[in-house]
Amino acid sequence: MNQFNIRRIYAVALRVVRQLKRDRRTIGLITFLPIFLMVLFGYALSGEMSGINLGLVESGGHNSQMSYLEGVKDFNLIHLGSESDAEKQILDGKLKGAVIDLPGEIRVLLDASTPQIANAIMAYVNAGMGGDEQHKSGVRVGSAVDDGLAKKTTKGPRIAQRYIYGYDLQTMDSVGPAVVGLVVFFFTFILAAISFLRERTQGTLEKFMVSPMNNLEMVSGYLVGFSLFAFVQSATTLLVVVFLFGVPMQGNPLIAFLTILLIGVVATVLGAFFSNFAKTEFQVVQFIPLVILPQVVLTGVWWPLESIPEFIRPISYLLPLTYSNDALRMLMLKGASIVDILYPDLVALGLFFLLVFAATINMIKRKVD
Amino acid sequence: MGDYAVVAKGVAKSFGKLKVLTDLSLLIPKGSTYCLLGPNGSGKTTFIRAIVGLLRLDGGELYVLGQPVAKVSEVYSRIGYMTQHKALYPDLTLQENMEFYAALYGVEGKKRSDKISELLGWVDLDEHRNRLAGNLSGGMYQRLSLACTLIHEPDLLLLDEPTVGVDPKLRQAFWEYFNLLNAKGVTILITTHLMDEAEQCKVVAYMRGGKMRAEGSPEEIKRIAGLRPLLKLWAKDPELAASRLGTGGFDVRLIGERELQINLDDHSQIKDVLELVKPIDLRLVEPSLGDAFLKLAEAQDA
Repeated sequence: MNQFNIRRIYAVALRVVRQLKRDRRTIGLITFLPIFLMVLFGYALSGEMSGINLGLVESGGHNSQMSYLEGVKDFNLIHLGSESDAEKQILDGKLKGAVIDLPGEIRVLLDASTPQIANAIMAYVNAGMGGDEQHKSGVRVGSAVDDGLAKKTTKGPRIAQRYIYGYDLQTMDSVGPAVVGLVVFFFTFILAAISFLRERTQGTLEKFMVSPMNNLEMVSGYLVGFSLFAFVQSATTLLVVVFLFGVPMQGNPLIAFLTILLIGVVATVLGAFFSNFAKTEFQVVQFIPLVILPQVVLTGVWWPLESIPEFIRPISYLLPLTYSNDALRMLMLKGASIVDILYPDLVALGLFFLLVFAATINMIKRKVD
Repeated sequence: MGDYAVVAKGVAKSFGKLKVLTDLSLLIPKGSTYCLLGPNGSGKTTFIRAIVGLLRLDGGELYVLGQPVAKVSEVYSRIGYMTQHKALYPDLTLQENMEFYAALYGVEGKKRSDKISELLGWVDLDEHRNRLAGNLSGGMYQRLSLACTLIHEPDLLLLDEPTVGVDPKLRQAFWEYFNLLNAKGVTILITTHLMDEAEQCKVVAYMRGGKMRAEGSPEEIKRIAGLRPLLKLWAKDPELAASRLGTGGFDVRLIGERELQINLDDHSQIKDVLELVKPIDLRLVEPSLGDAFLKLAEAQDA
């Protein structure tokens, strides 16, 4: 084989970019669809709610929150006699939550199956404490929960929350960072898979095989080209979650950006790899349930890994988004540094990339026969 | 070995149970135009793919430009390979397609722009160079594909049905260019269904069922098939002429009232015929290569 040639890599990258550039719909896909999706997710996560059935139990606390809650028009308030009564009604699905007014403590019971509503309720309870006026007319959970749950109780009663149904849910803020990774992964994967498939169906792949360019150069060229594409996407999605939905960015935005880029690169090689198993573009679409959906469900985008049954969890650890989700959450929500996410997250993503990259190059070689 | 661009000895390849190439042997001299002819599924494309190392052979030996086929990648920069797929990017312009292939082969700078202009001019697409390749007609697409294949001035040109969808006038231009390349020492291996194209080649190989059935110049192939030139002749006294020719040892028949048909062994016999009879008119009918292949196929089926 010929030596590694940067110019040939550049030629492939330039070509990929030229092709994408000319494909108007794909440009739209790259820039606007992520925004659209993020907006959709954003509002789904943080949308204002109304008509929420909320139980109130007076247990001698006489805290000011109770009268505040009385004034919130989004709630249908139902006064109940005891905490156990409230719990039963939540389990029955009649209530979305209940606030118990105890001396020195506000206890909030929340329906864990509807986290958005649970967060909205929490936000109101917290708002009632600080007298924060912006919360009065409907709450945007995405941003409100942040200062709500990570509360600063300087005075007034302690707020305790208890989820009915098992586990404690993470705040919806935590979905934001993960969704960024998911969106970038999804589009890059599909586009890379189709692009690679076309190389084969157009016969250009066969011409590559008979040219001085080797597979390493070809796949590298693709990576460079698609990184640019992932670059644009990472930037737009990140900007949308941070500025439109107020998901915090506690850590270094550049490292968050690079992490998203890394997941884009992983998606590119994974797309290239899977394209070997497809004969038509229709078959590429069939990879969505196979490759994308497990990552939506099993990598902790919506609910924590801990809530996934243990016998399935090993699969989670084989999926790249598990690591990017964790890394992005650590970066954006907890202000982690690059050292904090290096192991296992970045190392795992790096290993995953190398493994699939090597497999792809080998695969192309064999597939031609 | 040094005189041949491609040497195949007993090459065999099967896909599962299907034997595509069985004991195929041939020599392609450097600087020749070698044509692989044969019906669909006869193994022509498979053989070309074997030459460029895209297939693992089941048996036999194969050398390409002096290299055993296992090391053919070392001479990739000297091979131009045009597949039946056009291998172009419809969403790039003609110019961009050519630039891309030029870059793959390290053709850069002024040489690149000169070569692109030269080739686009030759395939008559220069005025379209900024159009998207996807908007071209089938024949234009084919021409662009050929131009891309030639961008790096290969020594060995492998053309798998290069003139499909190209109109006769341009097809002629293609062949003029092939001859020009040939004169520069480029070896051309071409597959085709078209007999008139095969006639232009120095060597024609007839493949069938993965085997070489006949090989030689178009004239030799016709002879192998038992086809000879036919002389049609009209004389004042056809019966007298027929008997004279008959005694002269010619294979002659009287057709209708006046027409004589004489099967010639070769063209030099025309002179002998004219010494025996003075015709009013005569016409030489050459057997076509197509007839030869039909006859060969029939003989092999029988």
